[in-house]
Amino acid sequence: MCVGLSAKVVSVDDDTAVIDAGGAKRKVSADLIEDLEPGDYVMVHAGVAIAKITSDDAAETDEIMEGLN
Amino acid sequence: MDSINNAKEIISSYNRTDGKKLRIMEVCGTHTHEIFRLGIRKLLPESVELISGPGCPVCVTPVGFIDEAVMLALDKGATVCTFGDLIRVPGTEQSLAGARSKGAKLKTVYSPLDAVTYAEERPEEQVVFLAVGFETTTPSACLAVKKAKAANLKNFSVLGANKTMPNAYKALKNSADAFLYPGHVNAITGTKLCEDMTKQGVSGVVAGFTAAELLTALAVTIELSQKGEPFFRNCYTRVVKPEGNPAALKLMDKVMTPCDSEWRGLGVIPMSGMVLKDEYADFDARKKFGLPKITGKPNPACRCGDVLQGKCKPCDCKVFGKGCTPMHPIGACMVSNEGACSAYYQYGLEG
Ligand code: SF4
Repeated sequence: MCVGLSAKVVSVDDDTAVIDAGGAKRKVSADLIEDLEPGDYVMVHAGVAIAKITSDDAAETDEIMEGLN
Repeated sequence: MDSINNAKEIISSYNRTDGKKLRIMEVCGTHTHEIFRLGIRKLLPESVELISGPGCPVCVTPVGFIDEAVMLALDKGATVCTFGDLIRVPGTEQSLAGARSKGAKLKTVYSPLDAVTYAEERPEEQVVFLAVGFETTTPSACLAVKKAKAANLKNFSVLGANKTMPNAYKALKNSADAFLYPGHVNAITGTKLCEDMTKQGVSGVVAGFTAAELLTALAVTIELSQKGEPFFRNCYTRVVKPEGNPAALKLMDKVMTPCDSEWRGLGVIPMSGMVLKDEYADFDARKKFGLPKITGKPNPACRCGDVLQGKCKPCDCKVFGKGCTPMHPIGACMVSNEGACSAYYQYGLEG
């Protein structure tokens, strides 16, 4: 039940966002993220967008591994 | 790509000559499963031991909670809305699936908000949502209660077993040398608490869920552990911000308040749970239906409690894979998709 779903925001209407997760569209709550806009990527958990995603995992990994040196 | 190879190299070349192991606890059950599924365990050298921790909400929910849900469904006639994983978790006498075969009405939902919609559409039914979960899931339960209150719903309530991580980390701090912190809990809570825990000698890194992220988190843990100082590093920066999700934290603070909470296998951990505040008491199923205090009895053969604390591996349990399988689970750790016993069973690992 804790598996998050990363998805692209297609549209936002008040407290609801339509997301596209690998082609499947679904409505999720946008109550917990301010300034959500179409085109943003979000992490969705139990039907609620819980965080904006700010880069991809490859960029993240590069940065963290470089920081180790 | 280079950085991933670099991470792999750090992991596979780690070696210790003192005969000890670096014990890393995957707090989150999804980490346990992804590490198996991606074949990362095969990369690990002898000197690294992964321990599956208590981070599967279904697994740490005590038997008595299932008994309460069964009572609501069978004796009180409520429609129980739940995440699917809970349905087959054994209660003292029966699981919710067993109750369903006796006429209990269950509805599987993906989100607590779906349970609110269901209640709105069926004013003639009393709908109870089973709210389990950590900081990741609790905001969605709070949102459901807030919406139900705003809509003045009289037929919606929650049976709560929400838990919070900080005191569990403290209770488990001697079980491992470092924690892989559960990324989606930190997405809500931020990183301050984990950073502060280094002052108490507790080390760990926040980990994401892709192969690159898990390898990075393990490599960073191995590197930093060799410096001999307690450490913290956020290795899931694309999702976890230092401040977490302020709107979610504010909402939780508005709707719920901390309480003592019972964890399967760990007993009652002070202030490790969340309960609805008095102003939301109408939505608390225990109060609404006047439930008695129920103490559940786990099956004595089940070692979930030890598994959840890293004291034994699933295969050390006498009934693992014999009496207890995903088809016929005896304990919660075999039911949930995130449970350690189910991971060991599914990926055929003996030790
Ligand atoms: S194998 Fe089954 S009975 Fe044994 S600890 Fe795991 S869930 Fe419990």
